[in-house]
Amino acid sequence: MPQQILEEKNQVVRHGVPELAEHWTIALSGLVLLLSGLFELPMSARYGINTIPGLGWSSDFITSLSVHYAASVVFIAAALFHLFYHGLAGDRGLIPRRGDLKTSIAVVKTFFGKGEEPPFEKYLPEQRLAYLGMAFIIAVLILSGLVKNYKNIYAPDLSHMVVLWATWLHNIFFVLFILAFVAHIGAILLKPNRPLARGIFTGAVRLDYARRRHSLWLAEFEKECPSLPDGETAPVKAVSGVAEDSEKTFPEEGSSTASETAADEIAAVQAKEPLERAGDKPVAERGMSGEQ
Amino acid sequence: MKKKECMKSKPTLNRRRFLKTAGAAAVVGTAGLLGATQKANAGGGKLATLIDLARCNGCPDRETPACVSACKTIQQGQAPEPVDPIPVPFPTRKVEDWSKKRDVADRLTPYNRIFVQKAEVEIGGRKQPLFIPRRCMHCDNPACSTICPFASNHKFENGAVVIDHDTCFGGAKCKTVCPWEIPQRQSGVGIYLKVLPTLMGNGIMVKCDLCNDLLRAGKTPACIEACPQKAMAIGPRREIFAQAEALALKIGGHLYGKSENGGTSTLYVSPVPFETLDRAVEKGPGRPGLGAARRRMAETDGLGKAVLAAPAIGVAAGLAGAFAFISRRKNGSGKGE
Repeated sequence: MPQQILEEKNQVVRHGVPELAEHWTIALSGLVLLLSGLFELPMSARYGINTIPGLGWSSDFITSLSVHYAASVVFIAAALFHLFYHGLAGDRGLIPRRGDLKTSIAVVKTFFGKGEEPPFEKYLPEQRLAYLGMAFIIAVLILSGLVKNYKNIYAPDLSHMVVLWATWLHNIFFVLFILAFVAHIGAILLKPNRPLARGIFTGAVRLDYARRRHSLWLAEFEKECPSLPDGETAPVKAVSGVAEDSEKTFPEEGSSTASETAADEIAAVQAKEPLERAGDKPVAERGMSGEQ
Repeated sequence: MKKKECMKSKPTLNRRRFLKTAGAAAVVGTAGLLGATQKANAGGGKLATLIDLARCNGCPDRETPACVSACKTIQQGQAPEPVDPIPVPFPTRKVEDWSKKRDVADRLTPYNRIFVQKAEVEIGGRKQPLFIPRRCMHCDNPACSTICPFASNHKFENGAVVIDHDTCFGGAKCKTVCPWEIPQRQSGVGIYLKVLPTLMGNGIMVKCDLCNDLLRAGKTPACIEACPQKAMAIGPRREIFAQAEALALKIGGHLYGKSENGGTSTLYVSPVPFETLDRAVEKGPGRPGLGAARRRMAETDGLGKAVLAAPAIGVAAGLAGAFAFISRRKNGSGKGE
């Protein structure tokens, strides 16, 4: 989806408004599902969770089921929106590629000082693998949840075998969902990955970080915009040229000027054509589309 | 509200209903509305049971009513045998142990799945006792089963709602959502002992399973088989419902179980209104009342249906979004040419 280099702000737009909306819709509804799912176990009253202000409802199984259902509507709709929107738009950036497992192992080793990281595309190889894993977990949770839901409303005497499969898959993948969520947060907390965190809040990451770690992604700019008007250089080259002294001249990560305006910039990008002609605007603000 | 729901259960006589019930009564014939079908085909299809309170006399000549004794006898091999000592659950420290009170017969316990309630009521200006066998109602859409987090409690096609003691953790969720709080817990037994005995679960939940094993073998549940008064019957659901309505019509009586908790497969027929019986019986833990019982799960049905529609909503939004994006991209390319 639309991506853009904001050279003056030392930023590169990594996610558009739809991606940010999808991520947070799925994340927040997933969190509500996780909690209301826990409350469907008879644990709230036992452990006094219902005595916490605002959580009195948690020991009422019918109310917590209503909350679970409400969050499910949002979660399922967002997951299927993601699948169809990006599937049809041709976004393949998060689909695992050959060699991702091997590269991921090499990357993990670098966290322990062994070897050096290879250049990355927009997404890290372990991100692509994690995406596939999370997508599988979510798919099983949705399918098993729909069976349970159908049984609750229309078929209380559904085959016991079907109900057992749906229930236990839902329970097991619920645990896997929690583990995947913890791993997801853990991965973001790793020092090399921390600059990515800003991207999922504001849509943009630091350009110098992207250049250093995601050079293959930035190279896509050049590929997407091969012909440029006379006198202009290709985006990646331009970026590279500027980046030589980036540590001194670019705003620091978390700089209020940069982060406050990034979301506005993304919204502005969404409003514009994603694939404007390279010469229509300055090199530093040229858009790129295709990979998510 | 309570009164309204109970009133609904009472069959109102109009011409159509009269013809319907008269037809059903004719099928049943003069052999007796209940006796003839006491051993009605119990082998397959949706079943229902009928309890005629005009017939039940509480077995005055016995120490324990025949249905209760028969149930205790047939459950003997399956009675919960808790470990000693029973792990004390954290942090509630609530242990429910009925293993040393197995003989209790005047309320529901893990060792007593049916009991007979007594109600002193006035019939025809005369005070007289009515006896009400009480057990699981085997509801049509039982929350106890649908909401069980481990699918340990299941409603089978024949209508029996059965708890699998091998997988039940004894969390008592089924009891909490049951309008009559029928399932009873025995601590110190079950799969929870092998997982986290003090932190998760607290035994097994026990209730009437309508002798589902016997039903599968084409036999009759023990309590029904044992009743000397033939006050209980089991048979194909439609027949039993028709019989119950015909019987209620015949005696000018009242029905309970037809609409309660969204409908059940147990129909009580009483010569006095169930509100009266509800006031007259002793109520408390293990001693359910006979009042109105709304199906609370119905509150979630609307949202549940929205969940089933959510995939379609997501797909439609995704298609629309992708179409808009592709169009924008196309237009952008076009402009540039």
